[in-house]
Amino acid sequence: MAGSSVSDSLDRLIHERIRLGIVSALAAEDGMTFADLKSVLGASDGNLSVHARKLEEAGYIRVLKGFEDRKPKTEYRLTAKGRRALEEYLDRMETILSEARDALERT
Amino acid sequence: MPTHQDRESAKDTLAYIRRTMESASSFTAVSGWGLITVGFVGLVASWLAHQGTQPADLRIWIPTAAISIAIAAVSNIAKARRTSVPIWSGAIRRLVWVIAPALTAGALLTVALTVDGDYHLLPGMWLALYGAGVTAGAEFSIRAIRWMGVSLLILGAIGLLYPAWGLPLLAIGFGGLHLLIGLDIVLRHGG
Repeated sequence: MAGSSVSDSLDRLIHERIRLGIVSALAAEDGMTFADLKSVLGASDGNLSVHARKLEEAGYIRVLKGFEDRKPKTEYRLTAKGRRALEEYLDRMETILSEARDALERT
Repeated sequence: MPTHQDRESAKDTLAYIRRTMESASSFTAVSGWGLITVGFVGLVASWLAHQGTQPADLRIWIPTAAISIAIAAVSNIAKARRTSVPIWSGAIRRLVWVIAPALTAGALLTVALTVDGDYHLLPGMWLALYGAGVTAGAEFSIRAIRWMGVSLLILGAIGLLYPAWGLPLLAIGFGGLHLLIGLDIVLRHGG
């Protein structure tokens, strides 16, 4: 979609695949650990932490660091802002599809 | 006006979101309480077998297998309902399809070995095949399940090499391991 006016109207922050995956996964199962997210998304350690940091900086997710059995544990939670962003993104996707459907019906 | 490419991309993106959400929510769909109950059943069965003369007494272990499968089914359905995940969701569906062939092979081998009178090989074979199924199924679930599968495989290997240890190995595998992993899931993955 790069370059089209439709893609320009999308939230670039969660349009990227891994970031969209993180937000979607947390919308379904809040409080996933780094290892859980890595396994669900099939992402590498570096890739996942870079994208998670971008989402954290934007206030879409919250990172909780703690210890479990003396081992460090990182847990990710979706913020209200992040959930709203995903909902708006989904709405935009649905609009694209319904506009395309209308256009098809007219032809 | 969205282009054809926009439409295809939107469809693909929605499918990706749906897949990711399904995979995330069914990731921990295995019921910890179910595993704990199955573990207790395994320990009771081991104790009953210990009272008799035959560690691999089919009059004990066939009902145990049936009860355990029923408990697993009921507890996973209950967890799926509680966490609002489709009952036949991604992880559970794949887990069943991966474990079922190993369990079927185990049932067939049980018949063949029993006809031949090779009861001493049954405990190791049960543990090894169940372990093979769980290890493969764990590809779609949390790491604790894979750990359980590999441990069952090791116990099965020991059981096949040292058949005299069959009963304690069954108690560790079907009892202890289910209890441990079940507890881990209850504490860390919501019941």
